[in-house]
Amino acid sequence: MAASAAAAAAEVEENIEAMILRIEHKSKKIENLLKQSKPVEALKTALEGSPTNTKDQRCKSANWIVVHRAMMAIRDVDGMFSSLDPEYYDILMKYLYRGLATGDRPTCDQCLRIHEKLTEKAGLGCILRSLADTVNSV
Amino acid sequence: MPAVEVHQFAQCITCHAWSPDRTMVALCPNNTEVHIYKFTVDKWERVHVLFKHDQIISGIDWSLSSNKIVTASHDRNSYVWNHEGSEWVPTLVILRLNRAALCVQWSPKENKFAVGSGAKTVCICYYEPENNWWVSKLIRKRHDSSVTSVAWHPNNILLATTSTDGKCRVFSTFIKGIDMKDSGTSSSRDLKFGEQIVQLDLSSSWSFGVKWSPSGNTLAYAGHNSTVYFVEDIHNSPLAQNVAYRNLPLRDILFVSERMVVGVGFDCNPMVFTKDATGLWSFAKFLEERKSAQSNSKYGSQFSEAFGKLYGQSKHGVNDGVDSLRPRGIAHENTITCIVPLRKEGEKIVRRFSSSGLDGKIVIWELDDNAEIPE
Repeated sequence: MAASAAAAAAEVEENIEAMILRIEHKSKKIENLLKQSKPVEALKTALEGSPTNTKDQRCKSANWIVVHRAMMAIRDVDGMFSSLDPEYYDILMKYLYRGLATGDRPTCDQCLRIHEKLTEKAGLGCILRSLADTVNSV
Repeated sequence: MPAVEVHQFAQCITCHAWSPDRTMVALCPNNTEVHIYKFTVDKWERVHVLFKHDQIISGIDWSLSSNKIVTASHDRNSYVWNHEGSEWVPTLVILRLNRAALCVQWSPKENKFAVGSGAKTVCICYYEPENNWWVSKLIRKRHDSSVTSVAWHPNNILLATTSTDGKCRVFSTFIKGIDMKDSGTSSSRDLKFGEQIVQLDLSSSWSFGVKWSPSGNTLAYAGHNSTVYFVEDIHNSPLAQNVAYRNLPLRDILFVSERMVVGVGFDCNPMVFTKDATGLWSFAKFLEERKSAQSNSKYGSQFSEAFGKLYGQSKHGVNDGVDSLRPRGIAHENTITCIVPLRKEGEKIVRRFSSSGLDGKIVIWELDDNAEIPE
């Protein structure tokens, strides 16, 4: 009984390590995209595969750093929405609230700018989905 | 214009139900009583007040053939009211609950009713003629939190429930002596009382308002995360669809036909969902056209002030005083919590239905004859 629990825990650890590696790999890709002046692509890459279905805080923080980097590089918010697919709206909204929770002035300014446009595009339902979902958090 | 009648009955209504001939409506005006109103000539008259419960009545259902009213209340009790002469006589049903009863529904054959409660249990009650009382059998297992709504499958045995643990479940409520074993259907193992047939874990937030389609093949319920969940072909190979929409969450839904659902909730305006030819459900439209009094705000005037503060700008429109908190131009002024069909004898499609809400109004809606209602 104890042996199988330990084995299950070890398996979960391994998945988390794999996730963190994946996020590091994403980070490099994002730096490249930003150098090529493709901030929207960078944001999409950052949002894809977000670790919402784990409870591990290290993974979540690692992904947040990457999303934050891409988000702060966006200058043209309206332009961003013309090329961002609706499938990203819900996850973006969750990260916006994480950003707003930091209290850091530049981050909050950017988050509010994006929040205004995102709410216009996605509606109040998007905000509800990020608030009501306590299971898949970022 | 789909809203045909708007009636103000109280300051706030928790639930309502119609009499079999649709001339009377029983409602709870957010207190411990049930008021029954009858439409005589040109106005509504209060003909009965049913006093028995000690706390707010959370559910009322009026059976179509046997003309009995069942009420469920936060006082953990349920009463079955029989019309004798000119009076409504209550019979206490001992539910054996230690928390509030939240919802109640008669089964299609009206020989049972189900009560969902805050005690994480569902009570299935049936009548025992030898002792002249209603007996309650509890489904204690499975639910991790309050049961917010219950819905009977047309076969009178399967019951779907939604709960604040986010899941929707289907149980068998087969009771020996009350239900007949159907020779064609599923194995006898499934028919045991309280047996869970299906557990749907689609929503990560509270779920409300579960309903079966008229044939019983499709199940739908609303999540508090502004999503409606549709499950097709639930008996053989269940296929789930999550329809996320732009607006505030729904509290209750109604199947108008096999391919059309109307949902009501915090937006105060019913929402229509339809299934297209390929089987895909999607949001079609609001039932009522909102008169655009909101040229200055995009989210409805009730939020423009709040958003103005959030974004720190004054461009979100002038504060209209009291009215800035209310969406204008639609029938309901506050959250709609309950939607009930007004079915005509032998009609397959529900063309007429009513909704009640926190604004104390009951609005009767009728879909136009020439409006395409997908069957």
